[in-house]
Amino acid sequence: MLVITRKSGERICLGDEITITVLDIVGSSVRLGIEAPAEVPVYRHEIWAAVKAENQAAAETGTGDLPKSS
Amino acid sequence: MIIDSTRFGEVEVADDAVLTFPDGMIGLPGARYVLLAASPESPFYWLHSAEHPGIAVPVTSPWLFFADYEVRVPDEDARRLELADPGDADIFVVVRATERLEEFTVNLAGPVIVHAGARLGRQIINDTRGYAARHPLFSEVELNDVQASSPRVPVAAEAF
Repeated sequence: MLVITRKSGERICLGDEITITVLDIVGSSVRLGIEAPAEVPVYRHEIWAAVKAENQAAAETGTGDLPKSS
Repeated sequence: MIIDSTRFGEVEVADDAVLTFPDGMIGLPGARYVLLAASPESPFYWLHSAEHPGIAVPVTSPWLFFADYEVRVPDEDARRLELADPGDADIFVVVRATERLEEFTVNLAGPVIVHAGARLGRQIINDTRGYAARHPLFSEVELNDVQASSPRVPVAAEAF
């Protein structure tokens, strides 16, 4: 893991094609601008983690857990 | 082809019902899935791995339960699904079953988009309207009022 300090307006490059700019810092919130190729999905981590957790929980479902019919 | 299932044993499925998920389902292994009918008249299906016998998640159509559900499929996701016409998409949401029916939840933030014509599927992040990954399934309708519907996605087999 890399830990670095950036100021407002400064940037981070991930390889050649991804640039993250610190746009604004207000209190405990940071506004980021992300430039990345269209094929690189960019998600808020908590949304992605929540979807992953729900998939994994749903995969534990047994055959008897679903109602047989409506 | 025959798929092995820890839940249903060996299930014979039509070859042309196998869907490829090039990027898999988020957090689950494998890239090929089939849709199995959970039971007659049921609004639920199993999205079952064609490669991993233990991997299957219950899914349903969101509009059976949420009449005004909205999905935005980003252009890049549509491109990967070879989806030119939104009308060609079949959309499912993953169901989390619990012991009590009234506590079932559904993942409205991570719908599964299937383009049956191309036999491609992809789970996307649906960031419209702040949908929850764990939303109560029966918050608008009760099970008795849900009409089973047939997706255009080929149902590979019956799981019952």
